[in-house]
Amino acid sequence: MATGQGVKGAAIGLLMTVAAMQAVQAQVPGVTADTIRIGSFGALTGPGYLYGKLPMNGIEVVFDEVNAAGGINGRKLQLVREDDRCDPAAAIGAVKKLVSEDNVFALIGGGCSNATFAAREVLDQAKIPLIVMASVHDGITTPVAPAIFSTALTSTLESQAQLEYAISQNAKRIAVVSMRDAWGRARYTPLMEAFQKKNIKPVADEEMAPDANDATAQVLRLKAANADAVLIVLYPKPAAIFMRDAQKLGFKPLAIGQSGIADPAAFEDQVGSPGATTLFRTISMVRYTPEDPAVDKWRKAIEAKFPGDRLSVFNLFGIGSAEVMVEGLKRAGKDLTREGLVAALDKLTDFPTGVYGAGITCTTSDHRCNKAPVWIAKEPGKPVRVLGVTKVE
Amino acid sequence: MELFTYLLLSGLTTGSLYALIALGIVVVNKSTGMINFAHGELFMFSGFVAWMLHVQMGMGYLPSFAIAVAIGFALGAVTNLIAARPMRNADVVGLVLATIGLAFVFRGAARVIWGGKSDYLSFPPITSPDPVTIGGVMVIPQQIAVLAGAIVIMLVFAAFFRLTRAGKMMQATADNAKASRLVGIRIDRIYMLSFGTGAAIAAAAAVLMAPLTLLYPDMGFSFFIKGFAAAVLGGLTSLPGAVLGGFCIGIIEALAGGYISSSFMEVSAFIVIMFVLVLRPTGLLSFGKLRQV
Repeated sequence: MATGQGVKGAAIGLLMTVAAMQAVQAQVPGVTADTIRIGSFGALTGPGYLYGKLPMNGIEVVFDEVNAAGGINGRKLQLVREDDRCDPAAAIGAVKKLVSEDNVFALIGGGCSNATFAAREVLDQAKIPLIVMASVHDGITTPVAPAIFSTALTSTLESQAQLEYAISQNAKRIAVVSMRDAWGRARYTPLMEAFQKKNIKPVADEEMAPDANDATAQVLRLKAANADAVLIVLYPKPAAIFMRDAQKLGFKPLAIGQSGIADPAAFEDQVGSPGATTLFRTISMVRYTPEDPAVDKWRKAIEAKFPGDRLSVFNLFGIGSAEVMVEGLKRAGKDLTREGLVAALDKLTDFPTGVYGAGITCTTSDHRCNKAPVWIAKEPGKPVRVLGVTKVE
Repeated sequence: MELFTYLLLSGLTTGSLYALIALGIVVVNKSTGMINFAHGELFMFSGFVAWMLHVQMGMGYLPSFAIAVAIGFALGAVTNLIAARPMRNADVVGLVLATIGLAFVFRGAARVIWGGKSDYLSFPPITSPDPVTIGGVMVIPQQIAVLAGAIVIMLVFAAFFRLTRAGKMMQATADNAKASRLVGIRIDRIYMLSFGTGAAIAAAAAVLMAPLTLLYPDMGFSFFIKGFAAAVLGGLTSLPGAVLGGFCIGIIEALAGGYISSSFMEVSAFIVIMFVLVLRPTGLLSFGKLRQV
């Protein structure tokens, strides 16, 4: 009788413990006994889809792989997508919806810089962990927001890397052609500071509008300045116009781009002038090109899940950030909380993802976790190739 | 001299595009008294249609051009039907909002249909992409093709206005809509024809320029602003004025960028426009009386 009462008491105690644990778990948004809901925001439509939809496709294949292996601590990962159309107001709305209506546990997202930057205040208020997958605006991670981490490069890091690269290639007369809108300013200002720190004066400093249809004036001025390297702070469209007109006018400097022009193969098509991109180098956030055998696994996964798609560098942005999220979730343990995830991400040191130029390191005082811009180029008729990595401090 | 020649050629090419867009705006305004704020989006949408036919479906350049112009015309007519006609008796703000609303619809549709293909779509040039030397000046053959194409379109359009019955009826309606109605001209049809013709010109401009400008769903507004500025400079009801305004803006931009500063390029044309409008409020070639408001 006493034994029977003891068993009964133990069973009741166990049930109460489980119920209590479930009650605690139920208070963690987006987490159930068998799922973790992760939100993502970025452009799903419009030209910015490269930095939104494609990284999200990358995230999805990483989640599929994790789920196929049993999930994280028995929980499967679910991805909820929201379209911000690269629009600041839409990004704020998307974050609010993911947090309040979709009740996600954490976020991996941020495609277009200005849109993500606009959403920072809402993110700060929600205290929801975010891993930035593609946005580079400095203001997203500086000053440090306790719950926002970036595996994307930042505009300051890229600007410094552009100048470092030009110097490393023995350029003596370095010029700049830039856009001066919010996106351009976020890169142009740190670039000028980098010039100042190195005590170098650009031999020419030209401006182009985002919608420019001709760059004859800019090219002629740079040519007159006898520039041997041009740092390009432009969107792909004006950059393509610039490269095309440079070719037309026989101006052939070392042309150094940034991650705004992250697909040299597509860029070659956009320029449309044979040989015009021979001396064009640009920054990628990842160390592999889509053709590299090292990313075969991801190529197959993307092509299987999204028929008609081909693996792109933009998928790899998402794959890298998802790997970091998965690692953070694993380290945060079974009793998952947002604070636990933030603490786990804060302690990542040289974490080796399968895609970035170097290990991912975050600290409590610096959430710019990727500081290794990768240089890529494409010679006419040849595949994109990786030239090297610049580690920026 | 070499610098001036290059800048002049660059200004003429860009100016011819502005002129074509301005021409479409003026055609609509001259006949209906309305500004079609969806004009830039019609330009963009027709360019994408041509891209779809030529690049995706492998159709020849000329058939793609013709179909895109026809679809442009149809979209212009639809604009009249759903945005302009119901608002004809509304106040100016209502008319403006109706076409702006439609512009967003066209842009949204383009984002959904073509927004997932690439960030900027390239359109193969109809000429060799290699630069050639003409009289000691390096040019991209497509630039010459654009300039020549724009001039041909302007001449065809001038002939249409002067030599065809429809063109003459459009002119009559533009001069005096009430009198035209009295002599049996069906004004509603003329309005539809005007919107369609304006959009068809925009479509032709889009197909011509696509190899030089690339295609993206958000391109319409910036082109519209330049075209509108050209139309205002030339005089909002003057067709030759629209052409002159377009070339003026293109050339001013190029010369300012080359001789003063590239930062000055975007604003230079607008500064000149401000001066012109202060001195001659009706525009360069418009001789209509000013209406006191």
